[in-house]
Amino acid sequence: MTCAEIREHLLEYQRKQLAESLRVEVDQHLASCADCRHWAEGERATTDLLERRLPRYSAPLELKRRLEARWAPSAVPRWRWARAIVPLAAAATLVAGGTFFWQRHADRVDANRLVAEAANDHLRVLYSEHPLDIPSGGIHQVKPWFQGRLDFVPVVAFDGDADFMLQGGAVGYFIDRKAAVLVYKRRLHTISLMIVRADGLPWPTHDLQRMGRLKARVERSRGFSVVLWRDGELGYALASDLNAAELLDLGAKIAGP
Amino acid sequence: MRRPSLARYDATVAREKSSVGREALAYADALYNLARHLTGNATDADDLLQETYARALGAADGFVPTGTLRAWLFRILRNTFIDGYRRRRHDPARPGMDADATEDAAEMPREDFDSDQLRAVVGTEIEQALQALTEDARAVILLDLEGMTAVEVAEVMGCAVGTVKSRLTRARAALRSRLHEYARKQ
Repeated sequence: MTCAEIREHLLEYQRKQLAESLRVEVDQHLASCADCRHWAEGERATTDLLERRLPRYSAPLELKRRLEARWAPSAVPRWRWARAIVPLAAAATLVAGGTFFWQRHADRVDANRLVAEAANDHLRVLYSEHPLDIPSGGIHQVKPWFQGRLDFVPVVAFDGDADFMLQGGAVGYFIDRKAAVLVYKRRLHTISLMIVRADGLPWPTHDLQRMGRLKARVERSRGFSVVLWRDGELGYALASDLNAAELLDLGAKIAGP
Repeated sequence: MRRPSLARYDATVAREKSSVGREALAYADALYNLARHLTGNATDADDLLQETYARALGAADGFVPTGTLRAWLFRILRNTFIDGYRRRRHDPARPGMDADATEDAAEMPREDFDSDQLRAVVGTEIEQALQALTEDARAVILLDLEGMTAVEVAEVMGCAVGTVKSRLTRARAALRSRLHEYARKQ
């Protein structure tokens, strides 16, 4: 191994996490290489400093209490279960209908988090001083810019036109993953399009509206219209203060024929 | 009046959410520590932690992260930081991910300091040295310090597992180089 390779193993070596064969190799290298021995001393000193002297911050108690009250409230009181179970028994004959409504409700709850995230991302675009990493000279300039910045290729069939002018693009984040963010303008209205890998996110499957060759869910959140759809491996979210019909029109163009 | 099936669903969701929330809150201190070192101040760290939990749990009904919950939360915190704070601040004095690539690509320097001298550096200086690094370098050092595996760090950083070691080695070397400046002043 080269010195550079040995140095990449030194932390594990010092933490005794190396496999025996590698450990022997590092041992032998250190015995004959003064530079790497010096590097190893530096690594040990760095570990000491980081572990012993770097200030470690704990979340303030008041903040933790606030988070706990918001995200981990006490267990659901038993009487609420009783209140739910009694009508459940009474509604036993409506199981099929209940299942249907349950699925619809679950779908709506799941969609709400995507809607909320899309509205948040749109707000970030609106309030950011520099929302675009690449200003638009057309989709053929914007799309190649994403190459190497994302682990997928954002598929957009629409170049922008006089009605929906493409402003540019940026890399953003959508819940737990990277997103291609494209920004369009219609008159004075800003429209954000987020494109992400769809896997693992609950894209809505009920209450969809026709949108060109696809179907999409239309929702509203904090005054914004949000349109969600899935096309193959990619998920799309459009958000704007435009009305839903205009967003569906744009969505159909983005999805292509 | 709500349908019984919906009431049951809501109760189940509330219980699961509360359970995930409790588990997630166990990482509040560790997340806050990273937030504090990323943002450099308590107010922004508070906001970042709250936004992280809001993003992670605000709609986490039934969501199952692909890796560990810890890595998933740290990833959301880091993404939130990059997405919101850095963009909003647009601080040219603080290099971004692109600048990191330049630093990462640099050859490892030959180290010519005295490690005993290095050990004399105090906590605030280590913190300042850490702050002077790129966000990428800071994050990888702190995640490693948190005891994360290379797989978890890769998940948080959004990089290949194979590149974690080299990133960490270079980040620590860059930190050492900064620390050496403090050591020399003494």
